Amino acid sequence: MKTSLLKRNEFYLLLVIVVFCVAITIVSPAFFTVENMFDLVRSSTGMAILAVGFFVVLLSGGTDISFPAVAIVAQYISVNAIIALGIDNLWLAFAISSAIGIAFGAVNAFFISFFKIPTLIVTLATMNIFHGLLLEFVGTKAINAGQLPLCFKSFGLTDILTLTRPDGSTYGLSVFFVVLVLVLIATWVILRYTVLGRVIYAMGGNIEAAKRSGFNIRRAQFFIYCYVGFLASVMGIIHVSLIRYSNATYIIDSELLHVIAAVVLGGASILGGAGTLVGTILGVIMISILEKNLVLLGLSSYWQQFFVGLIIVLGVSITHIQKRIQNRRSLALVRE
Amino acid sequence: MNTKLSNNLTLFAVLIVIAAIMMAFMPDHFGTVRNFTSMSRQFPEYGLLSLANMLAMMTGGIDLSVVSIASLSGVVAGSFLSQYATLGLPVGVIIAIGILIALTVSMLCGLVNGLIIAYARVPAIIATLGTQGLFLGIAIILTKGHGIGGFPPEFSFIGNGNILGFPTQFVIFIGVALLVSLVLTRTPQGFSMIMYGSSPQVSRFSGINNEAVLIKTYVMTGLLAGCASLVIISSVNSIRPGYGADYLLLSVLIAILGGTDPSGGFGTVLGLTLGIFIMQVLQSGLNLLSFSPFMKKFIWGLVLILIMVFHFYRRRYAMQRAVRKSAAQREAAQQDAAGQAG
Repeated sequence: MKTSLLKRNEFYLLLVIVVFCVAITIVSPAFFTVENMFDLVRSSTGMAILAVGFFVVLLSGGTDISFPAVAIVAQYISVNAIIALGIDNLWLAFAISSAIGIAFGAVNAFFISFFKIPTLIVTLATMNIFHGLLLEFVGTKAINAGQLPLCFKSFGLTDILTLTRPDGSTYGLSVFFVVLVLVLIATWVILRYTVLGRVIYAMGGNIEAAKRSGFNIRRAQFFIYCYVGFLASVMGIIHVSLIRYSNATYIIDSELLHVIAAVVLGGASILGGAGTLVGTILGVIMISILEKNLVLLGLSSYWQQFFVGLIIVLGVSITHIQKRIQNRRSLALVRE
Repeated sequence: MNTKLSNNLTLFAVLIVIAAIMMAFMPDHFGTVRNFTSMSRQFPEYGLLSLANMLAMMTGGIDLSVVSIASLSGVVAGSFLSQYATLGLPVGVIIAIGILIALTVSMLCGLVNGLIIAYARVPAIIATLGTQGLFLGIAIILTKGHGIGGFPPEFSFIGNGNILGFPTQFVIFIGVALLVSLVLTRTPQGFSMIMYGSSPQVSRFSGINNEAVLIKTYVMTGLLAGCASLVIISSVNSIRPGYGADYLLLSVLIAILGGTDPSGGFGTVLGLTLGIFIMQVLQSGLNLLSFSPFMKKFIWGLVLILIMVFHFYRRRYAMQRAVRKSAAQREAAQQDAAGQAG
């Protein structure tokens, strides 16, 4: 059964985004240019990848708040390893960082599936364990652009499409876009066409029912948390390639809030079992436009935190109230 | 009742063992009056926040916004208090108004949480995650990201003074803890909270107004964060939005260490207080052994996960025993029946 377009959360979100874009364009015509859109893609790919990971966890009825810590640990260790080994290879960097991300994901999954500890508490603990371990045993020294191996820098500067400005200089669409599209396709295929995807939806709907129907919950949990860890590690590499700076003490706290805001805004239910990838991406677009363009509307950056919080609160409240009204209606239908 | 007692006895034993180890290793540092005084100055800040999270957890929720509430009410009260020289009111009145402001703001924040959780039925995790950003955002907007300082000198009594030889905040903490304990054990609200935490459906069908219970719970949670904010701004004599961000993990950790069931329905003030003492002794010990803050971060996380693993095994053991017991009873009954038939 397909719900009509007008009843879908995504439709309204798209509407809000369009209205918002029009408003910004009126105030500042510089906003709606190809160059600015390319810029937006470059700077928000990292967040979008994290959002996809968080979306998958949320779908399964869990939470993972350790991914910002995983991202920074994977990033810092892989940058250091590349420097120490002297092999300036991006693939190696990705391999090291993914191995770390997947291992950390497995640690989360181990505690969640074997000891039945609430996912929030496990990841709250592991977030501190991972980050504490990094700072205590690996180091706290920041790596700046001068020390950063060449492969990261060139990765950050690679464009897949180059356009020329009227004055002759060029700008382009970052290669990050390709990474994002690959992640999206992989996630979509997993959720849509594999048994694993069905298990993830089923777990989020009702974990007991999923267990009774013979799904292998433990395997799915290991996949989910390792996948989030993997995506976080990919984001770590993208992040360092973008800002050309790796600081171990800097844990991306606001990133966590923004990612969760984006996913929840996209209509994924925090209780699991509902939500679409399209909604998540729309949520990311909304949050990153808001994040980067509040200044264009004449509001200082102090307002950012406030607006993101407000969006979570309003967005979630509206979805939940809507659901209650719907439930009441279907109940009335049953009674008739 | 039995679990309550055994839980608190276990905690007490752990506290004694840890304190004894510290005492044995560092008798000239740990076992001094000075150390105990400084410990009892430190823990009320996060102790009050842990108390807040315990209440939220007893109803099956969590309050991730406690630190932000403390920041916001501290900022609002602080902006008033720092104007004391220009207001021309007696110092006592100014301090009283300042305290009132902090408590009112924190109650309002709690009310917002409660309304969202009770009426919009948003899960507490996500609701308080949102308000965490919202409240902190308001605090940042109000101060433009800067700190506020320069309160009346008399105000520092809360953070640096003594009552009957005990640090003021220690006395405040004990008073507040007793009050919360009274609410939990002697009032209908306390009973309803435990009922709701065990099963929202059952509590609704037994005529409890679930929405009212939740709203009151989060107002109390907010108030406790407000008390913490007073202790914080008084002892530092200034307030900066974002102060004490680490306390969030600590407050959740202590609530769980104190035996509170994060899925709701169980928690005691005594257990929580023992949990706070254990953490403070550990913290002081690690400080004296000059562990880095990073190592502490790692240890807190490890402690949290180990407690949860311990609870898992305890629960499983209790379940196995119950199963064995009922099997034995069934067997006895069958034998009885067989004997009678024969």
